[in-house]
Amino acid sequence: MKTMSLLTAVSVLLVASCATSPPPCDSPQTRNLGAAVDDVKDSLASGCAAHFDRYYDDLLRTAEGDPKPGNKRIFSEFLVWSAEEGLLSQRQAKDYYNRYFNVKFMTLQSDYNNCSHTCPRRDRIMLDMEHELSDKERGLLKVSLDNDGYYRADELFQEVELVLEATCTACSAGQ
Amino acid sequence: MEPTSRRRLAHGILASTALLLVAVAQANTPTIRLFPTTVVEDLRQTSSVAREMETGLQEVIGRLDQQQQLYLESKCDGAEDDPGCQRLAKQIGATYLDMLGIMEERLPDMEHTVNNTRLSLEKRLRSELGNKMTSWTLQETLLGGNPPKDMAAPTPSLRGRSGMRLSERFSQYYKLVASSSSHTDQSLAVLASDIYLDMEETSMLIARTREEIARATLIEQLNQSFGTITPEMMEVVGGVKTILFGDDTALAPVAGPPPGSVEQAYRSPLQN
Repeated sequence: MKTMSLLTAVSVLLVASCATSPPPCDSPQTRNLGAAVDDVKDSLASGCAAHFDRYYDDLLRTAEGDPKPGNKRIFSEFLVWSAEEGLLSQRQAKDYYNRYFNVKFMTLQSDYNNCSHTCPRRDRIMLDMEHELSDKERGLLKVSLDNDGYYRADELFQEVELVLEATCTACSAGQ
Repeated sequence: MEPTSRRRLAHGILASTALLLVAVAQANTPTIRLFPTTVVEDLRQTSSVAREMETGLQEVIGRLDQQQQLYLESKCDGAEDDPGCQRLAKQIGATYLDMLGIMEERLPDMEHTVNNTRLSLEKRLRSELGNKMTSWTLQETLLGGNPPKDMAAPTPSLRGRSGMRLSERFSQYYKLVASSSSHTDQSLAVLASDIYLDMEETSMLIARTREEIARATLIEQLNQSFGTITPEMMEVVGGVKTILFGDDTALAPVAGPPPGSVEQAYRSPLQN
């Protein structure tokens, strides 16, 4: 009888420990973007939401292996799903999408005027824009084959650099 | 009224309303005023002052080149004690003084017009792009609704223009700005920034040159008594030629986009 109770207790403990062990949160193994997105969705839905950044990077790497314009849509739909599932806020979903697949720089989001806000931190902003440009190179050029989009972003980067240099010089001359 | 006439009238009203709405929308589009007539006039004047200075200096620099060539061909380099070579050196020194004199005479005008343009642009840039815009609206202005590629857009990116005459540079600015009504806000912002930064550099250069001229004149007046050509003298002449008439520095090639198929752009609901 005692042995029976002991066995039951051990079994219960084993089952409980299985239930609380963390999910493996492995990266998708497939090279197919659609299938990889499905794998990632399953993982995210089963407790791996904390690994979102890594999964997004995995998906980008998978897409780089088979670049095509249609990949933009797959990423957009994946991010819309993530926002609907509550894994990301709407704003985060937009940031993830636009940082990689839009010409506009999310780094330049601001509610205050250039003289008072942008100019004092211009070096930092330009550095952040440079990082964002390399993300755009990945998203627009390497994943979506959107050459025009990437080159417009690159041109925009240079124009912003020139115009901010002039504007900030003018702002500081007026102080 | 007959039904057909009534329909026509209704269509007419609808069309007029639509036209009115378009007109109102266009009127509400924020436009940036970076080039008022004063700036355009300042640019035109700068170009003409620069041309006058070039014309004055061209002859004297040509003479200086010839004299220098004669000096070298006569193997005077290393034979400074030779009386013929000393005479040649004195002639070169005198021409050099002429050049400094012309510059001293013309530079204040040049400085004045360049500074006028620079200050007008500075005020405009500060108010229109610095105080009225955020970095996001500035970005949207620069993107300017993505005009089609084949549109006859101006090419305002003029930086790295060292191979161009000073007067030609300002004349080009003037032409671009004078037709500014046909430009988009996008290109105007880049153009104004480009001109302003160039004026800043030119203005500093002129101020430095003016300071140097007094010193160089004094030194050359002393050298005249010894009939020597200093390396510094040749350097100054070279510098003036570069500033005024441009140099041979090749413009950096602009990379084109790599070939590749581009499908019609997909627009995500997440896109800003």
